[in-house]
Amino acid sequence: MSRLSFQEKMLWARFAGVMVVAGFYLRYLMYSAPGNHYLHAVLIVMLFLFASVRTFARWRSRNVIEDERDRAVAAIGTRWSNNILWAGLLVILVLYWDHGSVRSASFLISILFHLLLLAALARIIREIVAYRMSA
Amino acid sequence: MSSGISNTIRELRSGRSMTQQELADLIFVTRQTVNAIEGDKYSPSLEVAFRIAHVFDVPLEQVFQYQPQRKRGK
Repeated sequence: MSRLSFQEKMLWARFAGVMVVAGFYLRYLMYSAPGNHYLHAVLIVMLFLFASVRTFARWRSRNVIEDERDRAVAAIGTRWSNNILWAGLLVILVLYWDHGSVRSASFLISILFHLLLLAALARIIREIVAYRMSA
Repeated sequence: MSSGISNTIRELRSGRSMTQQELADLIFVTRQTVNAIEGDKYSPSLEVAFRIAHVFDVPLEQVFQYQPQRKRGK
């Protein structure tokens, strides 16, 4: 009998997925030549694939029980994710308050992308920890 | 921090030769949640608590016991 519930297994799968996307992107940041943006398209494709896998997993899990503990853990993760997003948005506002103009749209998009990545990672990790603490 | 709530689900379950999965199916939660409740690591909602008592056909206070925590500094 498996020690991990379906939701926990899915969390680990999501964690692996986000790490792959993050690793791929960091590798791109380190090694790609300036102005070489083809990997942005690849990244979008990967995110699309990731979303597709999640949709498939949700369809697959339609018969899996999601109980009150799962919902409580999800609420904890969502709270952490929201806090990080709000903190990040406030930081962005403060950063641009004095400096006026946005340096470039791509720079802002890059910050937002990293913010979303961080929020997603924090949510997944917090949910895994919450499951382990109450297991 | 402990919630001060303990339970006798494990004893009640083993007295009826019931597995965690069987109990979980009867109260509509996962086996992992039953395990967490038994280990006092998760306090169930009132609804689930009543379902558990109903499955074992015993009063709620026979399943769950509350020991008030003393406040620090008093």
